[in-house]
Amino acid sequence: MNDAFTASGIVSAAFWLTSLLTIAAAIMVVTLHDIFKAAVFLALSFVGVAVIFFLLNAEFVGVVQILVYVGAVSILIAFSIMMISDVSHGSQPNRGRYVAVTVSALVLAAIAVVAYNTNWTLNSSLEDPNAIAGLTGQFLEEEYASGDGRIVDLYAGDTTTAPSEWALQRAQTGVLADSTPTIGGLLVREFVLPFETIGLVIVASLIGGLALMRGRRNEPEARGGG
Amino acid sequence: MTLEHVLLVSGIIFAIGLYGVLSRRNTISLLMSLELMFNAVVIAAVAFSRFTPPAGLADGGIVTANEVRAALTGHVLAVFIIAVAAAESALALALIFALYRTKETVEITDVAEMRR
Repeated sequence: MNDAFTASGIVSAAFWLTSLLTIAAAIMVVTLHDIFKAAVFLALSFVGVAVIFFLLNAEFVGVVQILVYVGAVSILIAFSIMMISDVSHGSQPNRGRYVAVTVSALVLAAIAVVAYNTNWTLNSSLEDPNAIAGLTGQFLEEEYASGDGRIVDLYAGDTTTAPSEWALQRAQTGVLADSTPTIGGLLVREFVLPFETIGLVIVASLIGGLALMRGRRNEPEARGGG
Repeated sequence: MTLEHVLLVSGIIFAIGLYGVLSRRNTISLLMSLELMFNAVVIAAVAFSRFTPPAGLADGGIVTANEVRAALTGHVLAVFIIAVAAAESALALALIFALYRTKETVEITDVAEMRR
């Protein structure tokens, strides 16, 4: 991929366009009275968020977003809306509407102030050539070569060599080249306990959902008192 | 596209979702607004992962592969949030169905037995 494409205009323009689309769809979700149309716009905003993930070099998260949100959650919500006939009178706003506008505006203002006034440490401020090289994805083969998990000096033998123009630009505009295998490694190494716990949570919610949906139509009233 | 811009977009989507949660009466609308807020948080996590280096890389010293891998912790967090949100929405819809079956309504203002 050439650098002019990554660094400049096109990605930025695509980001703002997608953001506008996503925000517009989100506004439709919370203002439309017809819930089914709101669900369709929700699916649209999920797709917009997935595109933002792709633009942020997070391919794996973007694909998961499309599979889980667009493919499963949207469909689940759409089916629920179709099965609950009560939604025909639409979704009315409650009395606390102006309070809601005020609170949301305050939260947004707080987030914006913090985001713009904090001095973030950015990838582009890295100076160590090895760190830059690591972030740009040149570390995978080197790691195994060194054996102890330590990255060998990529500029060994020629320590005066600065990181290449390409590496510097990738550090500012790109991140890890092979993100999916690295995420897989993280999931089964550093984060294996949360990973297993998530499985437990999903099974629990599955059983809970089934228990809630099963109903007790044919059961006698006083069955064990519990 | 800088970190601040992405955080701003994430904040806007979060605020929209918050407005939806606070202002709607229909529980399915509440759930949809909640999903918007989840998405905003995931965008923030991925943006931090994309634009800020792990602490181990920023403070110099020997660069180890673990420090480099830590750059993707935000992605892992995002995947976890998505998994939890999916489980949560399935359970919430089951609850809404149970509510609809017992009370013939999905409006939260009609469910006030526990409020005095």
